[in-house]
This record gives sequence, C-alpha cells and structure tokens, in this order.
Amino acid sequence: MHLDNPQQLIDWHDKIIAKQKKIKKKILVCCGPGCLANGAQDIIDKFKTVLKEKKISGFTVEALKETGCHGFCEQGPLVVMEPKGLYYTKVKVKDVEDIIEQSIKNDKIIDRLLYNDPQTDKKIERYQDIKFYSHQKKVVLNNLGNINQCNIEDYIANDGYQALSKVITSMSPQKVIDTITKSGLRGRGGAGFPTGRKWATCRKVESDTHYVICNGDEGDPGAFMDRALMEGDPFSVLEGMTIAAFAVGAKQGYIYVREEYPLAVVNLQKAIEIANEKGLLGDNILGTDFSFNIKISRGAGAFVCGESSALMKSVAGEVGEPRAKYVRSVVKGLYDRPTVLNNVETFANVPIIIRKGASWYQKIGTPKNSGTKAFSLVGKVRNTGLIEVAMGTTLREIIYDIGGGIIDDRPFKAVQTGGPSGGCLPASKLDLPVDFDSLNEAGSMMGSGGMIVMDDLTCMVDVAKYFLGFLVNESCGKCVPCREGLYQLHALTVKVSEGKAEEADLEKMEKLSEMVIIGSLCGLGKSGPNPLLSTIKYFRDEYMAHIRDKRCPAGVCRALITYKITDACTGCMACIAPCPTNAITGKKNEMHVIDQELCTKCGACFAVCRYDAILVS
Amino acid sequence: MVNLTINGRIVQAKEGEMLLTVLRREKIDVPALCHHEAVEPFGACRLCTVEITKEDWNGYSNYVTSCLYPVEEGLIVSTHSPKVNELRKTILDLFLARHPNSPEIRQLAADYGVFKTSYETVVDGNNCILCAICTRICDTMGFHAISTVGRGHGKEVAPPLHQVPPDCVGCLACALNCPTHYIEYTFDNNYLTIWDKKFELMVCSRCGKKTITKEFAEYLSKHRDIPFSYFEICDECHRKELAATMGQITSWEREA
Amino acid sequence: MKHNLDKLSAIFNRYPQNRESLIAVLQDIQKEYHYLPEEALQATAKTLDVPLSKVFSVATFYNAFSHYPRGEKIIRICVGTTCHIRGAHLVQEQLENRLNIKAGSTTKDLKYTLETVNCVGACSQAPVVIVNNKYYGHVKVSDAKKLLRSK
Repeated sequence: MHLDNPQQLIDWHDKIIAKQKKIKKKILVCCGPGCLANGAQDIIDKFKTVLKEKKISGFTVEALKETGCHGFCEQGPLVVMEPKGLYYTKVKVKDVEDIIEQSIKNDKIIDRLLYNDPQTDKKIERYQDIKFYSHQKKVVLNNLGNINQCNIEDYIANDGYQALSKVITSMSPQKVIDTITKSGLRGRGGAGFPTGRKWATCRKVESDTHYVICNGDEGDPGAFMDRALMEGDPFSVLEGMTIAAFAVGAKQGYIYVREEYPLAVVNLQKAIEIANEKGLLGDNILGTDFSFNIKISRGAGAFVCGESSALMKSVAGEVGEPRAKYVRSVVKGLYDRPTVLNNVETFANVPIIIRKGASWYQKIGTPKNSGTKAFSLVGKVRNTGLIEVAMGTTLREIIYDIGGGIIDDRPFKAVQTGGPSGGCLPASKLDLPVDFDSLNEAGSMMGSGGMIVMDDLTCMVDVAKYFLGFLVNESCGKCVPCREGLYQLHALTVKVSEGKAEEADLEKMEKLSEMVIIGSLCGLGKSGPNPLLSTIKYFRDEYMAHIRDKRCPAGVCRALITYKITDACTGCMACIAPCPTNAITGKKNEMHVIDQELCTKCGACFAVCRYDAILVS
Repeated sequence: MVNLTINGRIVQAKEGEMLLTVLRREKIDVPALCHHEAVEPFGACRLCTVEITKEDWNGYSNYVTSCLYPVEEGLIVSTHSPKVNELRKTILDLFLARHPNSPEIRQLAADYGVFKTSYETVVDGNNCILCAICTRICDTMGFHAISTVGRGHGKEVAPPLHQVPPDCVGCLACALNCPTHYIEYTFDNNYLTIWDKKFELMVCSRCGKKTITKEFAEYLSKHRDIPFSYFEICDECHRKELAATMGQITSWEREA
Repeated sequence: MKHNLDKLSAIFNRYPQNRESLIAVLQDIQKEYHYLPEEALQATAKTLDVPLSKVFSVATFYNAFSHYPRGEKIIRICVGTTCHIRGAHLVQEQLENRLNIKAGSTTKDLKYTLETVNCVGACSQAPVVIVNNKYYGHVKVSDAKKLLRSK
C-alpha cells in the first residue's frame, strides 16, 4: 500500500495497533551484534521450526520478534518474553524447546536461564529489575530491543513516522530548525556541534541542490551504538534524515556505512526500499510535493573517512583525503554543494524531538548537554553492553551501577572514551559528569560513544602505543605532521615500552604532540596525540616505571616482563603443548620450568594454566 | 579590497585571495613545498602555516596554512611567531628523518637551524616528500598517468598497477616540477625514458634537434588544436622562421 | 593469472556507470573474486570512464581491498581496542606462528589468509576472531589450533 496522504498513515497506524493487540504473548530474540556473534541466528531458526511444528493455539510465528540490540551483550543470547518482561540469558539452541513447552505453553519460569545478580546471588525474573537496565534512560535506543528489525509495521506501531507526518503537514522548515535548536541537540558523532545551528547555516546557503548525509562510519574501535541503531531501528535513521532534508531543502541523501557492518547495510537497504514503497521516502512523500531520496554508500575500511570532508570524497568515489575546512562543508560539501552531515544517533534523535517536543527533550540531561547518549560499555567491566544514559550521568554510575564494576573485582584503572581521538581518564575523574564539555576539559572527548574500561592489568603505555599504531595505519598520509609526526610518536612509545627510552623522551613526545595538534590538516591528526597526552598526564608514574625502572607495572610490555612458574604448579602439562617455542619442560605431576632464553612471552601458557601457577613479573 | 595586518604592517588584498599569494606578493618569505601556481592549493606540507587572529578574538589565535586561507577584513597575521617557527622546525626535522639525503630538504632545514634530525631515521626513506605536485600537475595536464598509491606512512607516488603507465606521454611536467628532483628521467640518443616508459623524441626537420616526444605532440595537436606539422620543427627554428617572415613584412611595407 | 571476467558485466550493470560507483564496484569485485585482479581494475577504469591511475589509487587507499588472491579460509582477527586489551595481539601472534605468515598475507598453498580488522562492533565478546564470516568470541591464545581447524 502506498500512502498518498497523511491521513492514510494515521489509518494504517490504527489498523496495525488493532492487529497487534491480538497478539497476547511475544517472544523477543535479541539479534544485536553481541548476541549474533554468540549464535542468536540459530536460536531464531530453531524457534521458527519448533513453532511451526507445535502449533500452539493463540500463538503464531508473528509473535516471534527478531529485535535489535537489547543491550546486555555480556549475557547474550537474550530472549525476552512480553508482556511480563521475563528475561532469559545465555540461551542455547537446546533451550528453545524448553522455553516453548514451559514458559510459553504453561507460563512457567525456567530457573536456570534467569539472570543471577552477582551481588545478591539472587535470580531476577524481569529485566526491568536488573540494575544494568534500571539505571539507564532509554530514549533513542528504546525501539531496539522491542521491535522487529526492519519491520515498518512495528516501527509505526511505536509512533514511527508521526514526526515526519507532523513536519510535512504542520511545520515550516524554519519551525523544524527552531525546534531542533531549542531542544539543544548536539551532534552525537563526537564534537557536539549544535545540530540546529548546522541546519540553519546549510539552509541559508543558496544552491541548486543541498545534500543530507548520515555518517555511519563508526570507526572508533570499541564503539557499536551506531551499528546497533542502523541494524535494529533503521527507520528512525531514515525518518530523521528525511526531516533534516525537509528542513534544509535537500532532495538527495546518502548514508555512509562502514563495510565491516554488512548487516547494517542489508537492513538499511531493506528499510529504504520499504519506505519508498510506502511513500515515506522518494518522490512526493505522503502525497506532498516534498521529495527526498536516500542512497547507501559503503565505506571500504578507512577510519579517516569518519572525517566529514574525507567522507564526502569517499561518497564521490575518490580517495578519502580530507581537505582544509576554512570553508565549512555546510557551505561547500559534497560536490561543492551545501551539505548537512550528522551521525546516526543524531538523526535517530530527531523524530523523537519533533514528536515529543523540544521542551520535553531539553529536560533530559543537563542545560548545555540535553538529551541522552548511547555508549558501548566494554573492556574489563562486568556488564558489557549497549547502554543509554541521560547526559551528565557520572562515569562512576555508568561503570559501577550499570556496568557492575570491574571483572574479578580488580581495581579500576582508567576509562577510555572518544576512541583514537579521545583519552584515558583515571579513577580521580570517576565523578565527572559525562557530557561533551566535561570530557573535553578533562583531556578526553565524547567521541561517538565507545567507553572502554581498563583495570590494573592494562598498561597505559601499551594503550597509547596501540592507538598511535592504529592512527599510523589509518592516517591518509596527506599532511606531514600527521603522517610523519604520529609515526615518530609511535616509535617513541615503542621505545618506552621496550624500556629503551630516557626521561627526555617524555618531553619530546609532549612537544611533538603539540606540533602535530596545531600543524595537522584534519581532526585525525589534530586529535591523534590525545591518548598519548592523557596517559602521560594522568599516568606519568607508569611511564616513569618503564623509563627509569625498566618495569611494566601492569605486566603487559613484553620486553620488560618475564613469565615464571611458581610452586602452585601441579605438573598437569597443560601449558607444554601450547608453547610455540617449546620453552616449557617438565614431567607429569612435577613442577614445570620455563626456559627464559626460549620464551617469547606470548602468554600462551598463562592463558591455559588453571592453577594460577604462572606469574608475570 | 580588504585590509589586513601582516607582521605589524597594513596590507591591502583582494577579498577571497589566498593568504600565501598575498605574502608572496609582499615579498614575505614563507616556505612552501607543496605549492605550485599551476595547481590548486593542497595544504600537505604545512610549512606555510602562519598564526592568525582578529581584534575581537579575545587574544585567541589560530594556526592556518596560508596557501588555503582566504583573506578577510581585519585579519592579523604573523608569519614567524615563535610557535610558527617551532612548527616549521618540527616539520623540517620530521622531513630530515624521512629524507636525510635530499639536498633541498637539508638546505631548507639548515635555514631553520635544523642540521640533524632529532627523531629516528626512517629506514628506506627516499627523497619523495609526497607533496603530490607531480600527480596534480599530471591531472591538470589531462593525462592522469600517475597517482598517489596506498596511504599513511607507506603512501607513494606511482603509475597504476606499478607498471609502465599507459597514459604517460613523457611531457616531463612531473619531473621538472618536483621540488626535490626525485622523479628520474634519462635522455638516450633519440629516446626519453621516464616511469620506465621509453618514448621516441621528435626531430626538428630543419636543424635536426630533438624536441618533445611524439606522444606529447600528438596529444597537444589533438587537444590544443595545433596542426601536428607544427611540432615537426623545433622552437628555435620556429622563431627563426618568424624572424624571416617579419623581415619579409617589413621589406614589403618599404616597397609599398 | 587469467580470470573468468564474465561476472564483471553483471557487477557493472548494478550501478550507474560513473565515478560515484567506483568504490561500490570494487567492493563487489572483491566479494566475487576475494581480491582485485588487475584485469578487473582495467575493465573498471574503462567501463566507469575513470583514469586507471585513479582506480588504482582508490583500490590501494582503502583497507577492504586486497591485491593478491586470498586463501580458502579467511581468518580475521579483530584488533579493536577492547579486543586489544583482552589479548587479541597474543591470539594474532599464535595464529601467525602456526601458519608461519604475518597478518595481511596468505599461505603459499592458498589455504589460509590471515587479516586484522579494526573493530567489528562485537566488543562484548572480545577478543573476537572471524573465520569465513563466522564469529568466535572470547577467544583464548590456546584456541589457535581450534580456529584453524574450524569450518
């Protein structure tokens, strides 16, 4: 059915609601990135076959939903049963028949699949009662765990496309921009530029055509919020872009998705086709004279293409080399035309703001940082997953209340935000409210929302070296400070990690960093030294341990550590075969020995030892 | 016209003109290695970076590459502030680590007081500074025979597929404009070899002197609407011919 | 190496034949042949009317493209930040040692290709290794042998 006017959308919405009311019980299987990697697809398939075979009265395959990321990836694969919110974790294919027999047919709870709260050691039945969920504020991720991915009926049943309809029927482009400006929405891609102001500037530029681009090149390693949104709620991104197009007067849009996210490409493509079919995208949207088309542009593995001018070159089929932005891309962007570029999460916020109003949105978060922010909470934290919190929530709340603290109760050391452009913040900053400005001031940045928690077994020199190495590989190579400067900074961190650096090298790194920051052409180089500078600032002692004492306190930097077998060794021989250099000798039930000459410190023995008998020092 | 202050001196310039153009006109010496009049400004070497501010910026200043910065009213520019000098020194220091054997780089570095790199010398460093003047000029000429290949620290300038470039006509624009004279070419009797491609040279039908490559002549004749026969005579002989014609004209006028 | 290039025209037909389609075309060629054969690059340049030098420039700029034939089994090690701090580099080293190649290359018998990938967004399962598009989470150094045998 093609919607030829806004009234038809309302009628359709009512019809869907009436239909969905008949479905009393729903099984939601999380198909987010984490659960998929853990075999969620097999579980879906199994549910489908069993449901077909068993034919349960009042229960059809329609009640089975393949949802986007539910959030608690650590516990995946997840299965949720509505309306109660009964929550099963770490579900396996062999559990599926049980779930249908017991929980669907007979309303019984399967104890072994429930979440066990590690603090109280009690089983929790409903996900809403789990701390990981109860401390969050879900706005933009709300649809993710609740609706079928790529199902427009589900999206519309959850008030989808109401905002677009409202915009087209009752708002002027200026009014849309004013609403977004008033809401205080700032770009979720990292820098936090006010979205309304960006749109207003773009609208003012006279041109034969304007473009709207969605940046789905989520390049920060350790971040997957945008992936989850594009896969799990693609219509919200399309609706947000369409509203932006209406506001700035664009007819053509692009979504730039990294190719490492194949499912995101598939789901977005599907969603675009459906929206076109329904008259919610394409020519004469909802029967009006407003037309807007969206095309997918797949990134091909270049971190620098997250930078707006490089991204636009890549969309045009060129090498992703950034250009100087003394004339900004809202004025002169793709094909030299005025272009609005926002990231996935920003666009996904737009329909919600239009629907619920700027004042409602403004009340969430803090005055200068309204709304919520999605994060991927990962690393050495107990509860890893995809989360959303109100702006201004402290790092401590995120890491301890939602995240459940550090794995194995080890000491917290640092949290890394902002990816390769961000920094590492120490324990003294745990009470920092998470918003654009506070993170910047502390020497890190929001970035797109990766939050990587590190414990005492993570070496800060190694982290800085890792990010610099990453950037050396990802630099486009156009400008000298970035191409040569980051290369030399990386070489210096290698020197530190090998215990070959001198104290003067620290100062040298800080000075070169400053020059790379002021001298580089684009954001990649200008922010590249941040991980290094923040670790030197907050963890200087650790650098000094490497330099002065030739010691890596975290036991990570290979040149400075040794593996030794202690008398906890039971002589089980498990470590002998994995050793690639045959450096471990020993007989059964006798203590083994590592030949230090042969040992390459690969950690293979450490990983297999079940008796904690291998000591890193 | 706009007014700007450069190193304390008030200077007038056309609005939108690039700052480096103004600096060059005002004979203010700012180094630049990736800049070339024939191609669009690029902003890769960053040596032409200057410090800019405005009266209402509350003491805040910014560092911009002058080659790409359009001038505007009230701009206050310092071309050799301490930070700018430090940046140039750093860039040249980094260049020295990568291209220790380039006489041009050594000279420029020495001018800024850098005689030895303070960084780790890059193994396999050659004299190509990746300014991309060659590839950009090749594009401007319309050949697109060479391009940058790869990215990051391993980026290089190379012909497609690392093979003999099919679109090269041996015009030498790349080699002759290379600031570090890195691109090699050889003349051998009637042949020119560049990018491993061997070209036969045209020979002047009057004096026997070798001129441009046949491929280049064909290209110019096709795209610049010049008869091919024009290239069968060398520049000098063309001028001699012109002088002779001029002589005829004057004698004819005299007779009349 | 000569290739059956019949499939190329189908790829070209999927897109408008202009510069904007270049990256998408190359991605589809890579998907079909698992690398970018020289003849395919030449055909792309001709069909899309883009200079060969620009095709090569783009093909070598982006990480997604390989220029050599790849192995039957493609093992990709995620080296995102989370995977790194959870020991991905150690897993990488084990695999490199066992296959006797460095990441980014293919064994001589064309059985295995070992690659790294910057982040696949499955950080909660870190470290992650992907074998022919199948994800393996929480990989341990001692799993290297298992990964090589996996289907």
